Amino acid sequence: MKPGLILGALLLAITLQAVAPAVKAAEDQEEIANPDLKCLKCHSKNLSKKLEDGDKMSLHIDGAAFASSVHNEIGCTGCHQDVPNVKHPSRQPIATLRAYSVARNEICSECHETQHEDYKQSIHANLVGQGNVNAPVCSDCHGAHSIQSRKGSEPVNGEPCSNCHEDIHQAYAKSVHGRARTEGNLIRNKAIRAPFCSDCHQAHRILALADTEYLVPICIDCHEGARLAHEQWLPNAAMHMKSVGCAVCHAPQAELRVNLQLYDRVLGVPVKQTLSDAEVQKILGEVDTDGNGLDPLELWKLMLNVDTRAQSTNIRLRGRLEVSSRVDAHRLAASTEAIRSCENCHQDNAEAFQNVTVSINRPDGRKETYKADRKVLSSPISVDSVGSFYAPGGTRIKAFDVLLVLALVFGPAIPLGHWAWGRYLRKKNNRS
Amino acid sequence: MTTPDATHAATGLPQARAYLHPLPVRIWHWLNALGFIALILTGIQLRYVDLFKLMSFETAVHVHNWIGFAVIANWFLWFFYHLASAEITNYHPDLDVKAFFARFFRQAQFYAYGMFVGEKRPHNVQPGNKFNPMQKLTYQFIMFIAVPVTFLSGLMMWDVERFKFLISAVGGIRVVNTVHVIMFIMFVAFIFVHAYMGMLGPRPSTHYKEMFTGYEEPHE
Repeated sequence: MKPGLILGALLLAITLQAVAPAVKAAEDQEEIANPDLKCLKCHSKNLSKKLEDGDKMSLHIDGAAFASSVHNEIGCTGCHQDVPNVKHPSRQPIATLRAYSVARNEICSECHETQHEDYKQSIHANLVGQGNVNAPVCSDCHGAHSIQSRKGSEPVNGEPCSNCHEDIHQAYAKSVHGRARTEGNLIRNKAIRAPFCSDCHQAHRILALADTEYLVPICIDCHEGARLAHEQWLPNAAMHMKSVGCAVCHAPQAELRVNLQLYDRVLGVPVKQTLSDAEVQKILGEVDTDGNGLDPLELWKLMLNVDTRAQSTNIRLRGRLEVSSRVDAHRLAASTEAIRSCENCHQDNAEAFQNVTVSINRPDGRKETYKADRKVLSSPISVDSVGSFYAPGGTRIKAFDVLLVLALVFGPAIPLGHWAWGRYLRKKNNRS
Repeated sequence: MTTPDATHAATGLPQARAYLHPLPVRIWHWLNALGFIALILTGIQLRYVDLFKLMSFETAVHVHNWIGFAVIANWFLWFFYHLASAEITNYHPDLDVKAFFARFFRQAQFYAYGMFVGEKRPHNVQPGNKFNPMQKLTYQFIMFIAVPVTFLSGLMMWDVERFKFLISAVGGIRVVNTVHVIMFIMFVAFIFVHAYMGMLGPRPSTHYKEMFTGYEEPHE
């Protein structure tokens, strides 16, 4: 080796030796100012962790996306508080990606307590608790590291709800609400925004709609004149608004059904299922022996069974006319297109009364439904068991049609018979 | 003791006609008749809009409700007038049940046979006792049970929310409707029989005239 080259190398080494601490010091200063950079030093790389189920969890974080997220302010340790206190990288095994997401869900509640409390009451949290792997945790809707403020956002594409409820979003998008939202986002006096998902269903306390009653007040919240408007023309308006869901008339293409829900008439609340699904199916199987849905006699027997189990007659069936499908319930039309003809329901064989179900609320608020024969709405046997649902004309009891015919026949026949009898007696008397 | 008829016959004076139906009773009766016919027609329309359409269901509901209120008001007119006058004696129950039913069957026998063979009428019509036993039992049932039950069940169906506790107490809206419909069917049959029975006086027009003028028509 030439002496010149050796000297050059030595000089470079001495220079690097002298500069390196300065560079490290500068980096340390930067990391002290922004500790996330320390995390990103590793997590910006394509790291991954092997999970117990054999899957891999990506440990890659998009630094730029995180920097622009609302959580940039609290930094990585805002949520990953445990990292500085334990050996990192941790060797703790993680069962599945889902298990990790569910476990991390609790962290959000530390700052977002109200939202988390609401979420805990929701059907989403309920399903998570039941082990449903498709039910969303916080990060499923909000993302994990690129969380953006939802204030002022305009989710015309339905996200994040449409990620799971795409079919419902498609129906909503074509509805009067969806169209108003996309075609200018303003309705009526141009001061009210057309609603999207969370306006009706709430953002975090999303309830199952077994008790759809709660949606009527929400509709009225915006349509404040609706109650009065209905009272002006609709006979028994208050009863209709209680027993008929808004979408029944305002989603005119929707398929309808009558749901007979087990209801505690003293407490005024739907009955919650306390038996297991298998036990409920066993009871129904014993009653509906032919398995083709509950006929009037079978429904009457079922209610006897309910009375015996409850040791009271407080639990009755509460009938409500509602839209059969969740998708159809979102196809709301303009009020000018709503059904206004009473004959739609109040006549024999009305389409509205062709589908009948009997339901009980599961503990999470969802309905457990069982098919019933439509005859349960018009049979004299159901006078007691379906006591709370009646639509004049539409669910009339056919046996009384026979009685009316008899009255129309025998009403005039009795006088005619009496007159003829008198005529006969007079003639006979005259002859004798 | 001589009867009024015998007295008039003896003196040669024209027979004094009994005033059987005071004006308020006649007004009530004919309004009630018209009201019931209208209620039956609109009721049939409500129940069978799929079979024929004299008017829309919505119109039938409104007409049925308004006439229903008029008939209820009319019943109260009848009720308070009877309470405030001697007319209520026509509805007094007979305490001697055995004797009452003996006369009841005698009256039935008269309608079934006697009237066609010239038998004397078993019941002597007088103000305060104008109903024969069959009429009395029928009208007691109609006026004190059937009509109130019909208008109460009708009221409950007129505003289900307003009367929800009452409806729940009697077993639900289907029970209420069933009672209302049974009453409706009974009234349909009653109207035919009632109109015919009105013709069973000495002449077919006798009782009808009495119901317009209030005075008893000459029986011979």
